[in-house]
Amino acid sequence: MNKTQDLRLKPRRKFFNDEDRWGYVFIAAAMIIFAVFTLYPVINAVYTSFFDYKPFGSEYVGLQNYVETLKYSKRNLFYKAAWNTLFYTVIVVPLSLLISFSVAVMILPFKKRTQSVFKAMYYLPGVASGVALSVVWLWIYDSSPDGLFNQLLALFHIPAQNWLSSTKTSMLSLIIMALLSSHGTSIITYIAALHGIDNSYFEAAELDGATFLQKIRLIVWPLVKPTTLFLLVTGVIGSFQVFMNAFMMTGGGPDNSTTMIGLLIYNNAFVYAKYGLACAQAILLAIVIAIVSLFQFKLMGVDVEY
Amino acid sequence: MKKLIALLLCVAMVGCMFTACGNGDASETTAPAANQTGGETQAPKDDKIVIMAPPVTGGYLENLKVWAKDFHEMYPHLTVEVIETSWGDHNGKLATMAQAGEAPDIAEISSATIGTFVEMGVAVDIKPYLSSERLADYDTNALNYMTVEGTVYGLPLYLTIQSIGANKDMLESVGADVEKIQTEGWTYEQFLDIIKAGTKDNVFGFVFANAGVTASDFINIFGSGAGLSNNFTEDLKYTFTSENLLTLLKAVEEMTQSGYMPNYGVEAGQRLVMCQTGNAMIFGKAMPLFEGNFLKNNAALEANDGSAVENSLKMDYAFLPVPTIGGCQESCYGTVDGLIAMRNNNTTEEHLKNVALFMDYICSGDRIASCMNELYLSPVCQSGRDALVLDESRDPANLACASRCIDMVKAPPAGVTAEMTANAKSLMDEVIVPKFQLLLAGEASAEEVYKSICDAAFDTFGEENCVSGKLA
Repeated sequence: MNKTQDLRLKPRRKFFNDEDRWGYVFIAAAMIIFAVFTLYPVINAVYTSFFDYKPFGSEYVGLQNYVETLKYSKRNLFYKAAWNTLFYTVIVVPLSLLISFSVAVMILPFKKRTQSVFKAMYYLPGVASGVALSVVWLWIYDSSPDGLFNQLLALFHIPAQNWLSSTKTSMLSLIIMALLSSHGTSIITYIAALHGIDNSYFEAAELDGATFLQKIRLIVWPLVKPTTLFLLVTGVIGSFQVFMNAFMMTGGGPDNSTTMIGLLIYNNAFVYAKYGLACAQAILLAIVIAIVSLFQFKLMGVDVEY
Repeated sequence: MKKLIALLLCVAMVGCMFTACGNGDASETTAPAANQTGGETQAPKDDKIVIMAPPVTGGYLENLKVWAKDFHEMYPHLTVEVIETSWGDHNGKLATMAQAGEAPDIAEISSATIGTFVEMGVAVDIKPYLSSERLADYDTNALNYMTVEGTVYGLPLYLTIQSIGANKDMLESVGADVEKIQTEGWTYEQFLDIIKAGTKDNVFGFVFANAGVTASDFINIFGSGAGLSNNFTEDLKYTFTSENLLTLLKAVEEMTQSGYMPNYGVEAGQRLVMCQTGNAMIFGKAMPLFEGNFLKNNAALEANDGSAVENSLKMDYAFLPVPTIGGCQESCYGTVDGLIAMRNNNTTEEHLKNVALFMDYICSGDRIASCMNELYLSPVCQSGRDALVLDESRDPANLACASRCIDMVKAPPAGVTAEMTANAKSLMDEVIVPKFQLLLAGEASAEEVYKSICDAAFDTFGEENCVSGKLA
C-alpha cells in the first residue's frame, strides 16, 4: 500500500475547526488586553530608549542613552541607585520571607475562624493606599524627641535619632517600614501551602520523636519550597521596582542614600523630561530582574515540582 | 447560548477598553476663531481652551470656573475646560500629559521649570498672539521670569517671595526692634544674637523646615542673603562655586550646631505649628500670606470653636527680611508663578490666539487683583494694581516689608539658555541639596560640602564658566 492510500484511511482533521475558532475568540480578549497594556508599552519603551524623546519630533541617538546610563562618573546616580536597591532587596526580601513564614507557622495551629481573623489583620495594611501609609510612617519617624520611635528609644535611654534625615538611619528606616507593613499576601500564601502538607508526615515524625524545629526543618521547609521560590521571585521583582517608599518618605535623600532605581527612572522621566534615558534605565532594570530571577530558578528550583 | 453570552461580554470588555483609551469627543477639535473667505466674514468657529491649575489660593479653582464662564459670555464661541489638580500631583500630571503630546493649552507653572518644557518642545512663544499693549501691562521683571533665551512662553500670575517670619511679641520681648528689621534689614550676626536670646527651655529661637527636599528652601532663602540670588551672574558664570557659598555653608553649620535651632529634620508642616504653639520664635520658610493663617487662628482661638491649632497661642505675625551674610547686599529670594501656553496634538495658529486671549484675561485686571489679595502680594501687572482694593485687615508693616522685599528680587540674567537652566536644576537636585542635607545632619563640614559642590559644578559647566572667589 502506498502513502496516498494510507492517508485516505485516516479521517482528515480540519485545520481550523469550529471549536478552535471559539477558543481563539475567548483567548483574544485576554491577548488584546495583554498586547495593549503590557506588550505595547514594553516594545515602545525599548524603541523610545534609542531616542532623545520629544513629544513633537524625537531624535534618534542610538545607544547613547544606554552609554550615558552605564558610563561611570561621580555625578552618575545610576550605580549609587543600583547599590541602594540591591542592598534594600538583599535585606528586605529574605527577612520578609522569614517573618511571613514564622507568622504563618504560628497562625496554623489555631481554629479556622481565628486563622481568618489573623489573616485579615495582617492583610489589612495592604488595603490602605501607600501614600496614606507613608504619612503615618512619617509621623512615626518624627525626628524630634516627641516622635513615636524616639520616645520608644528613650525608654531604653537611647538618644533620639534623626531617622529620615541622617545617612546612618535613612535606609534602615525604609527597611523597617517595609518589614513591618507588607506581609499579608505572603502569610496567606504560606498558610495555603502549609495546609497542603499531609498530616501523616507529622504523625510519622512524632512517632520518631522529632522536635518542633526538626519538623520545621525537615518536613515543612522542603515541602513549602515551591511557595518560597514563588514568593522570593515576586519579592525580588517588587523590591527592585521599589519607588513609593523612597519617593514619599525621603525623596531619595539625604545625600542620595535612599535613591532607588525606580525613583531615578521617575525623576529622569517626569522631573528632567529625559524620557529616552528613563526608558533605557527601565530596560536595563528589566534585564537585571530577568537575570536575577533566572538565577533564582536555577539555584532553588532544582528539586521543585509543580 | 453560553458561548454567545461569553462572546458578547468579551466584545463589551474590549470595546470599553478602547473607548476609555480614546481621545474623547472627536467633535471638539479645535477650529479657528474666525474665518474670512472671499471677502465674506464668517461667524467665529467654536473652540475649546483647556487650562490646568492647582489651587493657587484657597478659592482659586472655584474663581477660575467663574472667570471661565464670564469669558464664555464675552466670547460665546470659546469655551473653557478647567482641569483641577492638587499641588502634590500638578507637576507630575503636567509632565506626563506633555510627554504624551496631550498637554493642556494653558498650565500653571513655576518659572524655574519652564526650561524643561522648552527643551521638551511643548512650550509656545506667546508674543505673536498678544498685542504689544497687552504685553506692556505686565512688569518687565516678572515677564523676564517667563522668558527663556529671549522668547516669552507665558504670562506671570504673581511674584512670590520666600523669607522668614516670627511671633512678633516674642521677638520684641527679647529686645528686637521689629520695625527697624522690617524697614532696614539686619545682619546675620544680629540675627544670631536674637535667636540666641529667644532660645529657652522647650523654645527654639529659630526653626526651619529642612527635612527632605525642603532643604533646598534653606539654600535658596539664606543664599539670597549671601549674594546667591541667581544661579548665574550677568556674564553667565555659575555662582554656586563662589566663596559666598562657603560663607553661607559656614553660617548654616554654626546655626545647626548652636542649639538655637533644632538639630534634627523638621517637616514642612511642623515649623508653623512650632511658632503658633510658642515652641519657636522665628521660623522659615515664611511668606506674606501666612499673616492670614495667624489671623484665622487668632479668630478661632477667640471663638473657641475647636478649629484653632492645638495648644496654639494668640499672636501677631511679623514677616521679616532674610539677614545679610558676609557683608552682602540685602536681597530676597523670589520666584514667579505664571501660566504658559503649551503645544498639543490639537494646536493650530487660530487656537493659539484664543489661548493667549484667555491667558491674558486670567492674569490681569480684577481676576489677578482678587487672587493677590488672598496671597497678600502685589500684582505684577498695571491693570491688576489698578483693580486692587486692599483688605483692611492687612498689617501695614508686613505689607511694606513684603513690598520692599519684592523690589529686591532680581530676575535671572538674560542669555541663560534652557540647557544651562536644566543643568543648574539637576546640579541643585542631585548634588547641592543632597550634600546640604549632610551638613544639616552634622555628617559633613561646610568645607567638605563646598568642595563636593565645586567639583560637580566644574564637571558640569567647566571651571572657566564658574565663579571663583567672592561674587562682585
